[in-house]
Amino acid sequence: MVEGLIKRNPKKHPQLNFPDYKSSCSRAPKNKKISFSSTSTEISGPVFNKNIIGKLDNDLTLNFSKNNTLPIGHKIIVFGRISDQFSNPIEGALIEIWQANAAGKYLHHNDNNTAPIDPNFAGCGRSITCSKGYYEFITIQPGPYPYPNRGIEWRPMHIHFSVFGKSFGQRLITQMYFEGDPLINSCPMVNSIPDEKAKQSLTSTLDTSRSNTQKLLSYKFDIILRGTNQTFFENRKEGL
Amino acid sequence: MSDIKTVLDETPFQTAGPFLHIGCLPNAINIEGIFDTDLGVKPFANRDYDKFIKITGSVFDGNGKALDDIMLESWQSDENGVYSPECGFARFVPDTLTKKFNLYTLKPGFINDIDGKAQSPHILLSISSRGLNMTLNTRIYFEGDDLTSDPLLSIVRNSRNDVSSLVAKKIDEDIFLFDIFLQGDKETIFLDI
Repeated sequence: MVEGLIKRNPKKHPQLNFPDYKSSCSRAPKNKKISFSSTSTEISGPVFNKNIIGKLDNDLTLNFSKNNTLPIGHKIIVFGRISDQFSNPIEGALIEIWQANAAGKYLHHNDNNTAPIDPNFAGCGRSITCSKGYYEFITIQPGPYPYPNRGIEWRPMHIHFSVFGKSFGQRLITQMYFEGDPLINSCPMVNSIPDEKAKQSLTSTLDTSRSNTQKLLSYKFDIILRGTNQTFFENRKEGL
Repeated sequence: MSDIKTVLDETPFQTAGPFLHIGCLPNAINIEGIFDTDLGVKPFANRDYDKFIKITGSVFDGNGKALDDIMLESWQSDENGVYSPECGFARFVPDTLTKKFNLYTLKPGFINDIDGKAQSPHILLSISSRGLNMTLNTRIYFEGDDLTSDPLLSIVRNSRNDVSSLVAKKIDEDIFLFDIFLQGDKETIFLDI
């Protein structure tokens, strides 16, 4: 038997060429990608040790604060479960996140928005999933912000996610949106995904179960990475 | 008898956007004091530098412009063709002035694959940036290696005549050039991995 990663379904992923998202026009390749059966190159992948994660790496409200001053904004929990396509939890998955501050400003030299930088907020965090596949971040609700596209458009509130599973073929970079944000439906980056259900899977859901104990609103965002199929060789033994 | 399990949909990709360094390479843009080091600075941390090759190149958009607001990631075997989860991963960006990336790493070996076929030495390379709704993947093979029986290159030869965009050119002893073209006549071959 050999293992193979389950083929990606193009309807469930964004189109590379999507003119409504202007900067895809000069960057998206025009030719079709070459498909092939997984080799050991895609099935293997880097796995990161829990000891690279510092105590405050998953608390974006504290990991850049000066003199214990909290960043400005609405403090939230973002959590969820990482599994494969068969719902098996993925332990030891590395998640890196980045985001704008409460005013919709990134701590980045290429962000030209006039919104203010928060000196106590970098918008950078990482975490590794536990044995049941769960992760959790404490952060500030990111603000929406204007950006040049077809004229000036607005990005919905979002957090960028980068995820490593066990295989390089499971590698995923995506964005999480917030339930109820009216800017989601007009976002060309969201709308580059043809399938409606796939689009909706990027919106986290509000969870109030910890609003009393921790006095924080939580947003739940589950992530599904590719699964691997076991397939028989064609020259299997007779009688099987 | 095998269990029939529901196959869930993979979470969709979204663009990494122009600010990906904040989360992936914070020290590279002077966000210091959060992570000790950026991930993937050295693909083989415990190996001698003098055993490394250098792979250099640029990533060009459809207007022929060399990009610097992108992130590259590489995954590879060691010199014996063995993959191990602790090493072989690198993450790097082009220099903002020269627009060139430099990857210092071991030259990978031939890989005896699980199905009995040998793969020629190669590095899996991914590119993420604004304007790319999904991360792109390609492979770096090496000029001078036997590329005749590599299974993936055979598939590429059957659908396109030219595999040269997947082969790094040897420009000096232990130095290889691998330019990537996102669009145009020289568009690089990208892989549905």
